[in-house]
Amino acid sequence: MTSIGTGYDLSNSVFSPDGRNFQVEYAVKAAENGATCVGIKYKDGIVFAVEKLITSKLLVPGKNRKIQTIDRHIGCAYSGLMPDGRHLVNRGREEAQSFKKTYATPIPLPALADRLGQYVQAHTLYNSVRPFGITAIIGGVDDEGAHLYMLEPSGTYWGYKGAATGKGRQSAKAELEKILSSKPDLEAREAVKEAARIVYMAHDDNKEKDFELEMSWCSISETNGLHKPVPKELLDEAIAFAKAENGDNSDSDDSSDDSDNENDNKKKDAEGDVKLE
Amino acid sequence: MNGIQVDINHLKKGEVSLGTSIMAVTFKDGVILGADSRTTTGAYIANRVTDKLTRVHDKVWCCRSGSAADTQAVTDIVQHYLELYTAQFGEPSTKTAASIFKTLCYENKDNLTAGIIVAGYDDKNKGEVYSIPLGGSIHKQKYAIAGSGSTFIYGYCDKNFKEDMTKEETINFMKNSLAQAIKWDGSSGGVIRMVVLTKDGPERLIFYPEDYETL
Amino acid sequence: MAGLSFDNYQRNQLLAERSKTVPQATSTGTTIVGVKYNGGVLIAADTRSTQGPIVANKNCAKLHRMSPKIWCAGAGTAADTEEVTRLIGSNLELHSLYASREPRVVSALQMLKQHLFKYQGHVGAYLIVAGVDPTGAHLFSIHAHGSTDVGFYQSLGSGSLAAMAVLESNWKQDLTREEAIVLASDAIEAGIWNDLGSGSNVDLCVMEVGKDAEYLRNYRTPNNREAKQRSYKFARGTTAVLSQRVLDICQVEEESVDIELEA
Repeated sequence: MTSIGTGYDLSNSVFSPDGRNFQVEYAVKAAENGATCVGIKYKDGIVFAVEKLITSKLLVPGKNRKIQTIDRHIGCAYSGLMPDGRHLVNRGREEAQSFKKTYATPIPLPALADRLGQYVQAHTLYNSVRPFGITAIIGGVDDEGAHLYMLEPSGTYWGYKGAATGKGRQSAKAELEKILSSKPDLEAREAVKEAARIVYMAHDDNKEKDFELEMSWCSISETNGLHKPVPKELLDEAIAFAKAENGDNSDSDDSSDDSDNENDNKKKDAEGDVKLE
Repeated sequence: MNGIQVDINHLKKGEVSLGTSIMAVTFKDGVILGADSRTTTGAYIANRVTDKLTRVHDKVWCCRSGSAADTQAVTDIVQHYLELYTAQFGEPSTKTAASIFKTLCYENKDNLTAGIIVAGYDDKNKGEVYSIPLGGSIHKQKYAIAGSGSTFIYGYCDKNFKEDMTKEETINFMKNSLAQAIKWDGSSGGVIRMVVLTKDGPERLIFYPEDYETL
Repeated sequence: MAGLSFDNYQRNQLLAERSKTVPQATSTGTTIVGVKYNGGVLIAADTRSTQGPIVANKNCAKLHRMSPKIWCAGAGTAADTEEVTRLIGSNLELHSLYASREPRVVSALQMLKQHLFKYQGHVGAYLIVAGVDPTGAHLFSIHAHGSTDVGFYQSLGSGSLAAMAVLESNWKQDLTREEAIVLASDAIEAGIWNDLGSGSNVDLCVMEVGKDAEYLRNYRTPNNREAKQRSYKFARGTTAVLSQRVLDICQVEEESVDIELEA
């Protein structure tokens, strides 16, 4: 062993003397540095909005979707290590299918959140694995109505009215609190606009890269209980609203191509090295 | 056995069987299950007061026909699953219960002689009836009849069943149907048992031969 | 040798090839009954065991103790009834030790039926299970394939038809202990007299709520053998002694050895 550090962070499942699990905390760091994700629970559904940083000009706009569907009625967005998220979603899909097969009814959201929570927690216990480097927001609609959960690398999950993860989470959370206390009964379309506005606003805090807004929703009134991408017209409307509300700052960002070069952490782009968020 | 056809009539030697008349009928406020009470071993009546209506959850019950041992084993397992389900997710729907029955009956079709009718009430879907015959298929129906005695009452039931009957109408319809099934089927007999499932929970009824034979 | 032995299987195959029949396990052509009464439950059995047309045992015990207050009457394959009640009785005791509770009749019932169902009727035990536990007095019957029945009175075995005839005609609601004993004994006697597979005596076990179980072995003995009218023994001296000879069939050598004991 090298003489660096206490040694309590070298393995999973090891506590430090003051009761912390460093590997899990590092995983939280990985999630905190990811792209911003926002989820809002409204009257009869939920909406996801994610900031998709454009890591290469060669990427096709509108493709490379980040929000995934776990089951017809459940969506998932996450920030942190993308492959970890995709693995979690795969597991979620297996759980959802297995539930549907045995019980002939779509998996309720609390049940899915619980199963994924147990799965993530199991990855804090063994030396052969590492914790998930993501914080995932899981939301959808079931017989009991709309649900929104946020799942952390420790396996902890809580139910939320509004949730945010990633770099811009602090300001996003503050904004969510403001909105959801002043308008507790948002309509689906209002929620979409607010989510878009919050992602644009949160991006303002660290404008280093161009980004594309990706959104999906799941509600009884608008999508018949299915998790779907927000339609083009509504997305455009939401983006316009977001830009207007945020003083149209990001619009100028979008058009300025050479502003990138001034940014020193953009060197990798020039070398054609695409870094996945 | 070639894997496609199932020897469905063969009961293992000396096995106790429910040569039976069973039915379940949806009505305005829920669903009612009904059955005769005869259990036979060959020509001998092993039990003349059998209860073929079995609870698998508060408001999900089933009618059993075929081998007594097989259907009891299956319902015991379903009861266990639904208890776990309730602890984790709350009240199961009738469909969920029927699906568990179906999985067991289908996956063990080569070793089971079980014809089961699952009936239940849940607040969202009201009264529901699922029939699960020998191969393990599942059929959602407005009403279902099964067992050896049922063959005699297909016509009667088809003619006389109406949707959204009252409780009294449904009980009379079932009493008449089962009385005929018992009358013509030697493997059915004893008393007629019924369970009424509504939002208020289960209610048991019993009709003695003198009540139904004179109908 | 480790593992399963298929010797008997091979023997049976060989015998099957050479003859029309294969060896059959001892079957207790039997009459057993159980009756509930006000405040308790009792079970009874005859005591004949048969091997085909031969009476193998004139006074065997068909009432098995599964726990102090849960008893079981067995019909069918003698070895199986014996073994399955012993096995489940053992597990029942472990369970009651683990749970610090008196064992329940429904537990015995569930364990027995699951065991028998697992063996798909190959364990040929037909049982009447009865007993008292903290929830009261209970009476059940189990068939070899694992199906169970509940009732105020039960009968099983080859003499069950004769016994059931008595039960169906004489049973009434709210029996007293004494009435129940008479009813059950009469039912068994019906089996003893009218069923070829049943005979000899009546064993009884009475289980009353709040009391110890009472095992009444040979409660009725309606088949006592009469004393022989004459003795068939030959009187001493009937056969004349012509000569007598005593042979040493081995040599005995004696030797004493001193053993020194150390302190």
